[in-house]
This record gives sequence, structure tokens and C-alpha cells, in this order.
Amino acid sequence: MNPVRSVVSAFFFFVIACTAVPASAQIDFSGEWAPRFWEDQPERVPGPELGDYLGIPISEAARQRADTWDASIQTLPEWQCRPHSADYIWRGPSNLRISKEVDPVSREITAFHAEWLRSVDRAIYLDGRPHPPADALHTWAGFSTAKWDGDMLTVTVTHLKEGYLRRNGLPRSDKATLIEHWIRNGDILTVMTIVTDPVYLTEPFVRTTDYELDLRQQVPPYPCGVVQEVDRKKGEIPSFLPGTNPYTTEFATRHKLPVDATRGGADTMYPDFLAKGRTQPIVPPTAPAAATSPPGIQTLPVRGNVYMLLGAGGNITVSVGRDGVLMVDAGRAQMTDQVLAAIRQLQGDLDLRDRPLGSGAETRSSVASRNTEPPAKPIRYIVDTSADPDHAGGNEKIRAAGRTFTGGNVAGNIADAGEGAAILAHENVLQRLLEPEAGEQKAPTDAQPTDTYYTDSMKLSHFFNGEGIQLIHQPSAHTEGDSLVWFRGSDIIAAGDIYSTVSYPVIDVKHGGTINGVIDGLNRILDLSVAEFRTEGGTLVIPGHGRLSDSADVAYYRDMVTIIRDRVQAMIEKGMTLDQVKAARPTSDYEPRYGASSGSWTTDMFVEAVYTTLGGGKKPAAAPAPARGRK
Amino acid sequence: MLLLSASIAAQGRQGGAPPTARAAAPIDLTGTWVSVVTEDWRWRMRTPPKGDYASVPLNDAGTKMADTWDPAKGTAAGEQCRGYGAAAIMRVPGRIRISWDNDTTLKIETEAGTQTRLLNFVAPAQRGEPSWQGTSIANWQFAGGGRRGGGTSRGGSLRIITTNMRAGYLRKNGVPYSANARLTEYINRTTEANGDAWLVVTTMVEDPQNLTTRFVTSSHFKKVPDGSAWSPTSCSAS
Repeated sequence: MNPVRSVVSAFFFFVIACTAVPASAQIDFSGEWAPRFWEDQPERVPGPELGDYLGIPISEAARQRADTWDASIQTLPEWQCRPHSADYIWRGPSNLRISKEVDPVSREITAFHAEWLRSVDRAIYLDGRPHPPADALHTWAGFSTAKWDGDMLTVTVTHLKEGYLRRNGLPRSDKATLIEHWIRNGDILTVMTIVTDPVYLTEPFVRTTDYELDLRQQVPPYPCGVVQEVDRKKGEIPSFLPGTNPYTTEFATRHKLPVDATRGGADTMYPDFLAKGRTQPIVPPTAPAAATSPPGIQTLPVRGNVYMLLGAGGNITVSVGRDGVLMVDAGRAQMTDQVLAAIRQLQGDLDLRDRPLGSGAETRSSVASRNTEPPAKPIRYIVDTSADPDHAGGNEKIRAAGRTFTGGNVAGNIADAGEGAAILAHENVLQRLLEPEAGEQKAPTDAQPTDTYYTDSMKLSHFFNGEGIQLIHQPSAHTEGDSLVWFRGSDIIAAGDIYSTVSYPVIDVKHGGTINGVIDGLNRILDLSVAEFRTEGGTLVIPGHGRLSDSADVAYYRDMVTIIRDRVQAMIEKGMTLDQVKAARPTSDYEPRYGASSGSWTTDMFVEAVYTTLGGGKKPAAAPAPARGRK
Repeated sequence: MLLLSASIAAQGRQGGAPPTARAAAPIDLTGTWVSVVTEDWRWRMRTPPKGDYASVPLNDAGTKMADTWDPAKGTAAGEQCRGYGAAAIMRVPGRIRISWDNDTTLKIETEAGTQTRLLNFVAPAQRGEPSWQGTSIANWQFAGGGRRGGGTSRGGSLRIITTNMRAGYLRKNGVPYSANARLTEYINRTTEANGDAWLVVTTMVEDPQNLTTRFVTSSHFKKVPDGSAWSPTSCSAS
């Protein structure tokens, strides 16, 4: 080799070596990591004991919920294939694989992906993308973004489904957020998790967990199939009635621990606890302050051409496409201008020029029209899930903005029938709007359903925007006229007020609502739903109020409503009066999540509706008189 | 040449004397911190029963030794501080106070057992007799592999190697480590959006005499506003 060229080459190599270090030469976390159970092995591998709440800053609501938790709930079909959530899974007994996603141009790491034995793919984005809107779907893994803090990776996780703080019934709510700090020291990965939960924690819950690099590790597949594990009556949810769980002090007795310590709480985390005892009083659970929603209409894409509009009163589901617009519910009357503007925006965003593959015809060239935008297709259907003003209040004005296509081999002038969109509903909705209760206003003619059904269900007689749409009547649930609306192609269910993520179910007793009807409705939603993977995703459920959900969210809600129903039922069987039931606070452990002490649907109103529709307060029927037949 | 270049960069100066450990600190560990016991509660917050060595990778010899634990004998022999040695002390609940003893020595004082650890950034000339806290050599681990751009720190952590310890207990119920044990620790600091500051201490104990493998734990401490609650306690064998 030419010696001069050799020296020059060496110099350039040196310069490149010195300068080619990326601006952010951070630690690489990718690899196979084996969990090491040098902390809390008995809790993490065999599993925690019942009644062990040591060292967790739980709220009283969490304590009460865990005390009534029955491990048998995990045999329910909706529970069987659930993975651990992002915050707990670090502590679970499972191998970990971290892989990295690299941008092919910049070669920067744009994401890490973490997967455990029984987990979903958890992406941690480093590309600066924002978190989704608050009402987007929550998942087991949540939504994670990260930034570097020196060599430490700090991860922010939102959009978590409900999970658990410990696998013995201590709940962590879907309002929680998680911060993680990933730290690598040689072949040891230490992850600090900080969970903040306004519902079930009084202070952030912090843990640090260690993994060791294991070059020979393989994370095996973990398929999971749901089976019938236990024969039980449909709709039965295992749970202990408050005060009846005999196992809550077993842990303390077995390990000779002070019972007060095993009850957990923030005090128990600190070294002074054993010397000084509790310094923070146990505060009974209370309803949160009323949440305020952002003003205006928020549009959330759900799947395909189906969207969710929030902020109009009740949630509105919108299908937008070549056939026009179908809305499930119309929101409040005073919000219709904003709703229509949001729909116009969706219509405008829809590209109607490009015909879908397979729909072209030799006789209809599209060449000439390529530079023009066809007009938006009209609003053709409004489906009312109930007659409530926050769902059907916008009927009149939105109907007027729409159009019904009529015609056929008929005689006479049928032009009038084409004025405005069609309004579909169960006939009890029409009945209620036509014959309102005292104090209610009769709905104008144009706000009334134009097409009703009285059977179990009703299907649109043809595909709309590429899919079948079915209305399913759920009797005596939120009201007597509730419909679930199932988009069978998109696999989306608009649940109306049978399901809410922001309150206990509203049971309109005056209009035929009952607690058992609501529970049947929730179970119907679950029967219709198919999860995509690990009991999340798949069928999506749009609640009457609150955030986008899937069957796992509905299952949690169904469990909650059923458990409260069972508690009230047991109190009724004991002969308790409504006031006594209210004083016993059968909703206590769910209060910080769903309760309200003011507003249109308070906890007291809910308990009263449950009590009343279960037959509470009625005198037992008198024994039938002896028959007076002839001898 | 590359190594030399990196080394110079790591010191953060171009020419002149390298900064002292105190001046070069990429993170501030000083202050009073309280351990937050959310893990291993029943093995840390009280002396666990004899024979309860769950989670510790003890070998047969270590198990046998743990089974001979007798706190009364320990007290009679003046060995009450066996559970407060360097390999265990960061896991014992209590407050710790971290300060600079001088420009090259970081000091950790503990409430539990009233212990003092000296973390030397310059190796002492003589190791001295084995002690509960042993001899600790510390060095900063600068983020980015030691490269520091523009003279500003991008964070980092502290690594501590401790040897020359007296044999002690990983847990107060006699779970042993030997005088030959080697302790490696990393201390990281985080600052949260709510203002909380935390230390994460990763502790690795190597002791083939008693352990089948490295014993790794991580402990976390929350910064407290001041030392007003500081309340040292003496060692106790039980």
C-alpha cells in the first residue's frame, strides 16, 4: 500500500471515529432480559396472598375493593386471557425482550418495543409523536412516549386500562398514569415505575425492578384460548359482600404481622410506620369533583369510516361514506350547529373521487372529473338509542339538514317523504316523544322517529357505507326504548346510555329502566364482542358518555354494576330500607371513579334506582288466600 | 489515541488539572433521603423469622449458616451491626444523609444503625482493617459514555465498588455474606414533574461463599426537604 495514502486513510478514519459519534450516544436497551426474583419472590412467582396490602399507598376505596375481591373472578371468560398492564408487568414472572425500531434514513432509534411472555407488543415512541386524545381507546400497554435524560430513558404512559397494583385484587384505575425510568448498568436493567392514580392511590406508587441480560433467552409464544372454566349462571360475578371475606387477615396471622400494617396505605411505606403507627387518617372514599369537558365538539376516528363525536351531550357515532351519513344519536338541541359543522368537516375530508377497486365500469370514465370534488353525500339516517334530550335533542334540526331517498313503483306525490333524514328508533322512543310524562314537552313532529321497530332487532335493509347496520332492542335497561347499534363490518357497537365510562349507569325508572336490564344490556354487548388479542381491541364500543372502549372495558363496568346490584339485593333481602342501604354505601369502593354528589345523576339516585327496581321497599306479598272451590 | 481522547473528554477539561470529583459531579446526590419501602416489606420493615430467606440465592453453605442464626449470641458477642454492613444497609429502612466529606469523598450517613459510609473517589493509600462498611471506591459514570459536549453535563450516575467488609447479614435474620464479598452499586437520581426527587440504588452482591449467583436488588429513596426528622438508631441484632 502507498504509505502516504495509508497515513491519509488512517487520519480520515481517526477523524470519522472522533466525529461520527451521534449527538445522542445513548445506552442501548435492546436485548433479551431475564427477570431476577431477588425481591418479593413469593409475591411475584407463586403469587401474592390475599389481604397483603403492605407498603402500597392505597386509598380506602382500593382497600375496600380488594377486600371484596374473589379470585374466582379470573375464571370469567372476559378475564382469562388478560395480560398484566404496563405498570405491573415489570414485576410479573416473565421474560422480557426489548427490540428497537430504527429509522432507515437517519438511523435514529424511533421506538423501543417491549414484550413479555404474556403481553401485547408495547411500543415506546421516541419520535416525538403526541399522545392520543384523552377519550381514545385505553389498552393494557397504554400509550408510551419517551425521552432521554442522560443515559436514562424516561417513559410517559397514558391510556391505560384498569389493572392491578398487586395480583390479589388491589385495583389500579384507568385514570392512572405511569412514569418509568429505564436504567442500564452493564448487564443489569433497572426499571423504576411511578404510578399515579387519583382513584386508588393517595401517593405515587414507586417500585424498582431488575432484569439481567440473558443472551440465550427466548420469549416463547403464549397463545391463550378462553374456555368454560367454571359452570355458573350467566351474568354471575364472583365477589364477596362487604364484610364477609374471611381471608383478609389470614396473611397477617400466617406471617405474624400487625394487621394494621397489612391493610396498607401510604404510611406503611415509610420507615417510621412501625414506631409511630398511622399518621394519616383513613379517609372514606368520596366522589370526585365534577369533571369539565373541553368546549366544542371533539372528533375521534374509531375505525374505517366510523367516527365518534364528543361534546354534544351524549356521544354521537357517525358513519361517513359514499352512501352518505348515518348518525347514532343527535346530541343536544343546542349543539346541532356544531355537530353539523363537525360532520361537514368529515364529509369534506372524505375523498369521493377515487372509486374503490372493482367498482369501475368501462362505460363510465372518471377521467373528466378528476380535478373536481363531488358534493358531500347527505345525512340520511339518525338512529336514536333513547329518547333522552342529550341523545335525541338534535333530531329536528339534523333531520332537516338531511335527506331521505324515496321512490319506486308507487302512485301519488311522495316528495314530502324525501324531506330530511330518516329517524330510526325503537317504538317506545316514539311513544315517549308522542306522549310525554307530565312536565315534559312533546317533541315536534320533525323530531320524532320516522321508522320504528317493535321486535328484538331491526336491520337496515341494505349495506350502508359498506356494511350492515343492526339495531338491537335492550328492554328495560336505561329506559324502555334503548337500542344498541351494531356496525357489523366495522365491528363497532354504539351502546347508548346502557354503558358509560363517566358515571354509574343512568337508570331512568320513570321510563322503564331497571338495573337488571342494564346488566343484561352489558352482557349482550359482551356476547356480541370479539376481542382482537389478549382480550383487548377487536369489537369497539362507543358509550353513551365517556371514552372509546372495548369489551375489556365493558367487562370491568359490567362487573362493577353487577357487584353493586348483588350488594343492594343482599341488603334488600335483609329487610333494609332505602335510607339504610344508602347509609351502608354499597358503592363506596367505586365512588372515586364513578360517583357524584351533585349533578343530574348522583350516587344516591343510582342506589335508589337499583333499590327500587330490585323491588326494595315493597312489602312481601301476602300469602295467597285458600282456594274457595267447591268441595 | 482514541482512548486518550475519550479520557480527556471525560474529565471535561482541555488541559489543566482534572476537576475534583465534587466539581465534576454530573448529578447532585447530596441531601436527606428517606427509603420508601414498597418492596420486600416483610423482610425489611421487621426482622424476619429464622429460616425465611425467600428471594435470596443462597447456596447450601449460606443456607446452613442462616439456619444457625441466634440474635442473642450476636448481641452477646457485640455483633449487633452485622445486619447494617455495606451490602445490606441501603436496604434497611430509614433516612440517609449524603454530603461531601471533602472534594474527593462522598459521605453517606444512615439513621439505621448510625452507620457512615465513605465513598472515595481517590483510592485510599491503605485499606485498613475490614469493617462493616468496608472500603468503597467511587467514580462517576458520565452519560453518553463519558463524552460531554460543550462543557455541560448531560447527567450520569455514581458507581461504587466496596470490598474489605466484615462478614455480615444481607437480612437481619442471619442471611449471610462473607468477608470476601464484593459489592457493586449504582446510584441514579431522577427528578419528577411534581418536584419529587428520587435516588435509585442498584446493589449487586457477589459472594460465591454463600450465594449461587449475584444478588441484585434495587432500592429507592425520596428526597425530603430537610433533616428535621433525622433520628438515628443504634444497631440491633433482632
